[in-house]
Amino acid sequence: MINTILIFPILACILMALIKKRAFDCLMVNLYAVLHAISTILLAMGIGRDGNIPYFTVDNTNLIFLIILSLVFLMVAIYNNGYVKTLDYSDKKIGHYSFMTIIFVLAMTGTVLSSNLGIAWIFVEATTLSSAYLIYFNKTKHSIEAAWKYVFICSIGIALAFVGIIFLNIAQGNINTLDFAQLYKHANNFDTFWLKMSFVFMLFGFGTKMGLAPVHFWLPDAHSEAPSPISALLSATLLNSAFLVIVRVFKVLDIAQCDYWARIMLLICGFISLFVTAVFVYHIKNYKRMLAYSSIENMGILAIGTALGGAALYAVILHLIGHSLAKASFFLTSGNILELFGTKRIKSISGVIEADKKTGWLWVFSFLAICAFPTSVLFISEFLIVKSMIQNEHYILCALFVLLLTIILWGIAKVTIKMTFGKLSEDKTQIIKENKNKLKFCMFAPQFVMLLIVFVLGVYVPPFLNNIINCAMAGF
Amino acid sequence: MENGFIILFGLTMLYLAATSRIISHVRLLVAQGVLLFLICACHFEHQSALNITFLTIETLIVKTIVIPWFLFKVLKKTKANRDVSANIPHFYCLVTASIILLCGFLLPNHFFNSDTMKMISPIYFGVSLATIIISLWLITIKHKIISNVIEFITMENGIFLLSLSVAKEMPVLVNMGVLLDVFIAIYILGLFINEISKEFKDLEVSNLSDLKDYNND
Repeated sequence: MINTILIFPILACILMALIKKRAFDCLMVNLYAVLHAISTILLAMGIGRDGNIPYFTVDNTNLIFLIILSLVFLMVAIYNNGYVKTLDYSDKKIGHYSFMTIIFVLAMTGTVLSSNLGIAWIFVEATTLSSAYLIYFNKTKHSIEAAWKYVFICSIGIALAFVGIIFLNIAQGNINTLDFAQLYKHANNFDTFWLKMSFVFMLFGFGTKMGLAPVHFWLPDAHSEAPSPISALLSATLLNSAFLVIVRVFKVLDIAQCDYWARIMLLICGFISLFVTAVFVYHIKNYKRMLAYSSIENMGILAIGTALGGAALYAVILHLIGHSLAKASFFLTSGNILELFGTKRIKSISGVIEADKKTGWLWVFSFLAICAFPTSVLFISEFLIVKSMIQNEHYILCALFVLLLTIILWGIAKVTIKMTFGKLSEDKTQIIKENKNKLKFCMFAPQFVMLLIVFVLGVYVPPFLNNIINCAMAGF
Repeated sequence: MENGFIILFGLTMLYLAATSRIISHVRLLVAQGVLLFLICACHFEHQSALNITFLTIETLIVKTIVIPWFLFKVLKKTKANRDVSANIPHFYCLVTASIILLCGFLLPNHFFNSDTMKMISPIYFGVSLATIIISLWLITIKHKIISNVIEFITMENGIFLLSLSVAKEMPVLVNMGVLLDVFIAIYILGLFINEISKEFKDLEVSNLSDLKDYNND
């Protein structure tokens, strides 16, 4: 099954390069999404895990990441069918877009599945390079700026992560391995000084990719300039895969019993992320940038939860699922709004519900899901993190956490309410009516499904998912 | 002999800090590639044929020929010449870079007292870290986009030297992947430089500061 996920996209890309038909390109993206989903379901059921190709594996930790990636990709692929029809670019350009999307998802899948730190590094860098074109897709001045910053900052970050890998090699003494299972096995014998050094470099290296403040600068630009389906993929899956690598390295420190240092680092990065979001969301002018900042916030929450450990880990995984689905839905809906109004400026938008009911309500519910309104699963996860803080007697941290989240909630709520309700200005009615016809059914259904999952998971976590989450907790 | 090459490698960074003509920076990349090859060549008797082939391809072909050739092409196309308006005068650049390099020579001797560290040569370690730090610092003060790419490459060279300083080897697969990624990254950055020069009239970094949150409109 792992072979299918990794080899099919390469074949698909070769075929796409040969055939060069618009319909075929779109078909391949859909086919890959469906195959990805089927393979993931089979892997989750334990079928086809044996006979792996070297360097790739499915274990308890990465299974949940793979499921999220698969689900979000499937939903984005469905949305994409409608989205591609709204673009008036040449067939060749759409072909490139589909081609790079497949490569991008392949790179993320490679990162998630790799059982070797070196291979994971290679695939993380590959995600940067493959998504650079997608961010530059619209070829405007702003998109080139965003893409340049993205490639340059992420490449430097990833290069620093490689320094971390070399330090990890130094820490190992006589053992020479980058395989995660071997690292865990020998972690007790590692030199703690170099292990700590390597974690600093890897946290900042892979943290750049994950969007943790203070190395998040590429994130709002890239997310806001990319086409909406790509923003959804960037936010809901790319950041997770970088987080997985950090989690794996963190586990090495945990076993080597110098995790106190790592926890402090994660906690600091997490709170800086919340702070940065609170400061910038307060005055935000562009709604896609607002969503990007919200991603930084949620990555911060994941870092804080990981640092707390114990019961908070369950919350981290729930948060991971909830954030990915809710944020993907939010970004896809923002694509609809962009299509309707033709602008990303919050100032020029009001009365989304009046313009288009479905988009408006999806926007409101995405907002409710992301700001942890019960029964969104994010409510459970954030509640558990707060509970864990109180149990561990981190009262000041808890107060700070709640305060920052409240400011962010206020910032996002203000914008969402302003955009959704209110009066639609007269001069726009005609244009919006024309644009409304471009929105197809498949540009609403994915968001609806994802939001449904988010709100149901808040009340009921099915036993098989609970089982997977509990297994994944062991890997943190 | 080997140490001599490493010191020469360190000195190339001072040259980078002190000069402003971009074409000479690219020539310096060629020199760094050759030096890295010579440093690798000092160890060839201990290594497998596969590794020797790989290291030769990486240093002599990619680092010395392909990347500089590509940058020459970009330079010709964009007609970028000098990076005159760095934030800090070149003399101070040189002084700061020298201090960092000096620290690189001196500090590792204090670090490597413990027994586990015997496998790393301090001079390798110091010079490579100094190279990485000088490159990162130069990225922050230079104003031309293409200089930033050149400093990114020197940083990668520093990391390559650091990975040589660890006596143990990465699997060849990992090495090849790293090389491929870095190469494609530079290729993409080069393509973007072309696009930027089409879009804006000069290659200043300040052109790329339009996307921000606290502006005045």
